[in-house]
Amino acid sequence: MTSLILFGVFAILLLINLPIALAIIFATLVSMLMTVDTLPALTTIAQRLTAGIDSFALLAIPYFILSGYLMGQGGIAHRLISFSKVLVGRLPGGLAIVNVISCALFGSISGSAVAATSAIGGFMIPAMEKEGYKKPFGTAVTVTAATTGMLIPPSNILIIYSLASGGVSIAALFIAGYLPGILVTVSLILAAVLYVKRNNIQTLSKESIEPFFPAFFGAIPSLFLIFLIIGGIIGGIFTPTEAGAIAVLYSLILSLVFYRQITVKDLYPILLKTVNTTAIVMLLIGASSAMSWLMSYASIPQTISHMLLTLSENPLLILLIINITLLVVGTFMDMTPAVLIFTPIFLPVAESLGISPLHFGIMMILNLSIGLCTPPVGSVLFVGCSIGKVSISEVIKPILPLYAAMFIALVLVTMFPAISEFLPRAFGLI
Amino acid sequence: SDLGNEAVSIRIAHGLDVQHPVHKSLEFMDERLKTISDGKMSLTIFPSGQLGSEREIIELIQIGTLGMTKVSASSLEAFVPEMKIFSLPYLFNDHQHYWDVLTSPIGQSLLDSGVEYRVKGLGYFDAGSRSFYTTHKKVEAPSDLNGLKIRVMNSQSAVDMVNTIGGAATPVSWGELYTALQQGIVQGAENNPPSFYYSKHYEVSKYYLLDEHTSIPDVIVVGTHLWDSLSAQEQVWLKQAMDEATDYQRKVWMESTEMSLAKVKEAGVTVMKADKAIFQDSVTSLYDSITSESIKRLVADIKQMGER
Amino acid sequence: MCLDACIEKLDKFLRVFLAVMMALLVVDVTWQVLTRFILPQPSSFTEEVARFLLIWVSLIGAAYAYRLNSHLGFDLLVKKLPVSEALFYYRLCCLLVVIFAISVLIIGGCNLVYLTWSLGQSSPVLNIPMAFIYSVVPFSGCLFTLYSGIFFKQASNAIAE
Ligand code: NA
Ligand code: NA
Repeated sequence: MTSLILFGVFAILLLINLPIALAIIFATLVSMLMTVDTLPALTTIAQRLTAGIDSFALLAIPYFILSGYLMGQGGIAHRLISFSKVLVGRLPGGLAIVNVISCALFGSISGSAVAATSAIGGFMIPAMEKEGYKKPFGTAVTVTAATTGMLIPPSNILIIYSLASGGVSIAALFIAGYLPGILVTVSLILAAVLYVKRNNIQTLSKESIEPFFPAFFGAIPSLFLIFLIIGGIIGGIFTPTEAGAIAVLYSLILSLVFYRQITVKDLYPILLKTVNTTAIVMLLIGASSAMSWLMSYASIPQTISHMLLTLSENPLLILLIINITLLVVGTFMDMTPAVLIFTPIFLPVAESLGISPLHFGIMMILNLSIGLCTPPVGSVLFVGCSIGKVSISEVIKPILPLYAAMFIALVLVTMFPAISEFLPRAFGLI
Repeated sequence: SDLGNEAVSIRIAHGLDVQHPVHKSLEFMDERLKTISDGKMSLTIFPSGQLGSEREIIELIQIGTLGMTKVSASSLEAFVPEMKIFSLPYLFNDHQHYWDVLTSPIGQSLLDSGVEYRVKGLGYFDAGSRSFYTTHKKVEAPSDLNGLKIRVMNSQSAVDMVNTIGGAATPVSWGELYTALQQGIVQGAENNPPSFYYSKHYEVSKYYLLDEHTSIPDVIVVGTHLWDSLSAQEQVWLKQAMDEATDYQRKVWMESTEMSLAKVKEAGVTVMKADKAIFQDSVTSLYDSITSESIKRLVADIKQMGER
Repeated sequence: MCLDACIEKLDKFLRVFLAVMMALLVVDVTWQVLTRFILPQPSSFTEEVARFLLIWVSLIGAAYAYRLNSHLGFDLLVKKLPVSEALFYYRLCCLLVVIFAISVLIIGGCNLVYLTWSLGQSSPVLNIPMAFIYSVVPFSGCLFTLYSGIFFKQASNAIAE
């Protein structure tokens, strides 16, 4: 009953074009008022709104948004892209491929899909637009590719799964994530290239590609940014979140002092643009944390999944039900609460079917990664749309083939445990 | 109860996963409560921090949307200043002394000190003793900690303690700690054996020094708004279930500690007993700097209990 | 006219305030990294400062973003409606924003401030009253109320665009 009201109110408010964050809050409020008195309900929502934002790891979002803007306006992005055009510009969908690989690389290092979207999307979406790709397509490629970093280590969400499952080794999970993560990346590249070919998007003319050496030397200081971030995280100098602040500092120095493409005066509008995008995303994160809270409080996930799991006893069918439930959940809930709530519910069922917790974890994270970029609640999609300055409805069409690619990867990972288990076994971790 | 004849189900939230001894003990408490009250009372448990962090849950109890929780006494510090007493290092001589204090009038008055902040302590759970673990450097004496970055809990008293002993207290959020240890941003951290084991930090740490610097109990907290709404009979039932759960939890915790130590040894971690006397000497300045009269008095009373 | 001038001043103040907070956010965490290398004992308060700054930037920024009309929504259906109906739904949304701002942000937020103040909760490291941190919630609520009032008044112009 509560769930019907929750989703009903939400759907109606979305249709009249109320900001999504507020639609989420209203739906939460109305459902909460059914069991809780008015003043405590209002106060609880106010608290969840701030509690959802109160996380050090979320700082990666403003930092990488800011560094993305600095790179875009300060000449760093331009040089990186000129260089990547030299490498893959002649291929069909060249820049789309560059985008996928950069997002996957950045997402895997920073461990945050949102950070990858804001850092890479901040300059890749405009760059792709310049070369004739439409903004919605650029945004779609960025958001889907950014989620592959959830599977490729280091990954905070795999650590959370390890805790929620109570026993799977983090080291094993980290190794297990590589092949599925690469599988998704490759599927996305194929889907993007197919999309480019089917829609006859023009690839670069040869004249627009610079000769190798000038492009390479021009890009060296910018390329150093990548080494600084990756090296600093792997070398234990700073955490992925702190890396964001360092990226801001380095891009600032480079564009202000070295390339001199921006002045101190330009910083003011850049800071304000960053605040704007950050606030949009944070309000959404706070709102969805209120909704996730209510869903747990009213035991909605348990009710729905127990109902579904009584439908069948066929192992394949149950796996299908679990996957579909998670896909639906992923459209409404953010990843961390979903992992915390559903692991204890589904893992015992999966184990009774002979599925290892390791395999199940990878399947679950991949599944919920898709949810990060599906409306109505998808933090990565939100960031992508705010960064790319496109509306959610515009992105739907170009993102469909990319969903399909991720879905095919999910089916493969679900059906063939070896994709997740081969590497950990080879390293003797399971 | 304000619910008339209906059965009372109390919402209790906590931050640990369902395998943890604390969760198991709360399930036991729920069973006992149902039996004692003949089905008139029960607990609905929300594990894994799905309703918020410890600080946020205490706030929700004050707001009135949650009934009970399990929190570390260190999380209560921000709400109930007297709870700071447990963050003092090497306060207790041993485990026996620690539990003698908790079950004495001192322990009871600490539980009651929360009432004016709308959070009444109902009873204690054992949370063992926290000790240092390090990734590469073997630590046996306070001086070995010099120059090592040690991750501490998000509290000023924990920061002061590690800095006084000799390490460099470094703030890292719990979620980022595994990778921070693995990649060397910090070279150590501190926690009790079950947390060391369940968090998998032993996968990236070589040494575990059982110096047992702090013994910070878990406290089962009930909101006064809920407590006051219960009938006298219901309060008795809840208290009895709490007492039985405490006995049960102490046993489970002990087993869990032994199992965790065995498991981390098996995984190749060197577990060492510390010479506590030299560690105790390193923190005397912390005791000298206490300004609060009530804390000074508590320290004296606790020390006195240890001499008997 | 005086009202317009006041609002313009407020907008300008908010912009400067937000930009400064954002810059502080970068300085704070950069300092956190640096102190690990240059000081014998790394700073322990920077993490808490960063989290609290983020809450402030986000909640005041959310009102600022509303002012700029940049919150995400689904405009699919509304775009297809005739002007009179679109105007109705636009005004309805303004009204809903006011309800949200007054109920959740102002009433809920004030109660949160009141509770944390009267029960004396302080932050774990900096030891500042949590009531101070939470005061941003009702403040943001006032901004949302003000801006949605302005949007309601100018609704017909907005729909014409
Ligand atoms: Na990653
Ligand atoms: Na989603």
